[in-house]
Amino acid sequence: MSDVAERVRKVTARLLKVKPDDVKPSSHFVRDLGAESIQSIELVAAFEEEFDIEMDQDEALAVQTVGDAVTFIEKVIAEQHA
Amino acid sequence: MRLIIYEDETFDNFSPLTLLRATFELRCGATTLAEKLQRIAPWAPVAYFAREALAPVLRERLDAPVNDPASLRGDDLLLVNGRLLLLDAAQFPVGGPDEVLACGGTVIGARVSQAVAEAAAADAPAELIAALGAAVPTRQVTGTVVSYMWELIHHNPVAIVADFKAAGHAGIVGTFSDHATVWGSKEQVYVAPTAEVHPFVCIDTKGGPVTIDEGVVIHPHTRIEGPCYIGRGTIIVGGKIREGCSFGPVCRVGGEVEESIIHGYSNKYHDGFLGHAYVCEWVNLGALTTNSDLKNDYSTVDVYLKGELTDTGDTKVGCFIGDHTKTSIGTILNTGTVVGVMCNVMATGSVSPKFIPSFVTFLNGKFINIAFRATMATARTAMSRRKRTLSDAEAALLDAARALTKPERDKCIRRSRDHGPAD
Repeated sequence: MSDVAERVRKVTARLLKVKPDDVKPSSHFVRDLGAESIQSIELVAAFEEEFDIEMDQDEALAVQTVGDAVTFIEKVIAEQHA
Repeated sequence: MRLIIYEDETFDNFSPLTLLRATFELRCGATTLAEKLQRIAPWAPVAYFAREALAPVLRERLDAPVNDPASLRGDDLLLVNGRLLLLDAAQFPVGGPDEVLACGGTVIGARVSQAVAEAAAADAPAELIAALGAAVPTRQVTGTVVSYMWELIHHNPVAIVADFKAAGHAGIVGTFSDHATVWGSKEQVYVAPTAEVHPFVCIDTKGGPVTIDEGVVIHPHTRIEGPCYIGRGTIIVGGKIREGCSFGPVCRVGGEVEESIIHGYSNKYHDGFLGHAYVCEWVNLGALTTNSDLKNDYSTVDVYLKGELTDTGDTKVGCFIGDHTKTSIGTILNTGTVVGVMCNVMATGSVSPKFIPSFVTFLNGKFINIAFRATMATARTAMSRRKRTLSDAEAALLDAARALTKPERDKCIRRSRDHGPAD
């Protein structure tokens, strides 16, 4: 698991109050992990803080699974920390 | 003669209220500052000058030329600063020699003959007034000029009274239940032909006049204290509307409201206190949203203005809320809070920070960028519910306002990540 994936897993588990082992790349934030709309906003903010990035909120909130979040964040890191 | 109403460079003193509108479009009393100024010469054609960024939306909203240099030629001109709060049209005599008019240190206008204006060849009012120079005398006049946003609230009661007199109508023309009452002089109330006042409504005119404009509906168990203006199509859903309130068109208002201006098309439907506040358009205040307008030690209230806390010198100051902002249920706004445009404020169980920058969600004590495209879609939905559409020019202005406010927003987001929001 990449460093980004591990940190995404930890942030997600902490914010959504689920076990880290339950956070898998295929996990759907809403359906599998129970994220409510406000928690989705919190998650995006927490990822921005964790990785010191600024994400397009519309695009970030459209991401549905943990694996897609990792891919999206890696792309933003590459753009903003290059 | 042509009447020229212009915005001067102090529009920032009214931000965020002026992020999407010109200073002269702000409401004080029953009407806007510009609508009052037109009483100087109701027969004269009008032209407007304001920040260029606003010009496209002003051209849509105002049936008159905007930022057109040709407006400064071809006729005698009466230039009037849009910050002048005109309480009596006689304050500003139309006839007379060419002169600059000042109120204290503020230029409030000028009377300029066609030949002088054309010789100056200016493209904007400020340029024209500067070009007049020493050739034209400056005369000091008495009047009221609003310089900061909290002054709109301060002057609102007297402006309502002035607007009631200027409108020149009184009496109950519309539907007024036998079980509703006017407590005080009936000469101090106007119920427009299409307005409806339901049973168990008390309109108290002892403190000043009350206007209930066209299409207004006042639900039972409402007490309205004058001076008060309720704009066309607004619905009062019960509660205490205390003295000094102005509600523009198509609002939904309930709970307790005191000395506040709701510009128009906004909802404060539920219980909760709104006092000494200015609320812009398309705002929704969630149930039990309450603001403080008086500090426990009765000291003067500080308000964030251009990034700095500024002493208003006033002990009664509520909140200032920009267009398209929404508060959640149970939001508590601190004394003198400024909330920007298109914010989503979520209750924290404690008082809010005193400054919430435009285009953020405030959640769990942190500022977060809003999802702009999704929020714009929500704005379009909210407007369609009131049979209005967001024009391309308005959308472009929101986008420009978002870019303009990015530095202060980024600063607040960064600070709230590191230390939590400022008090």
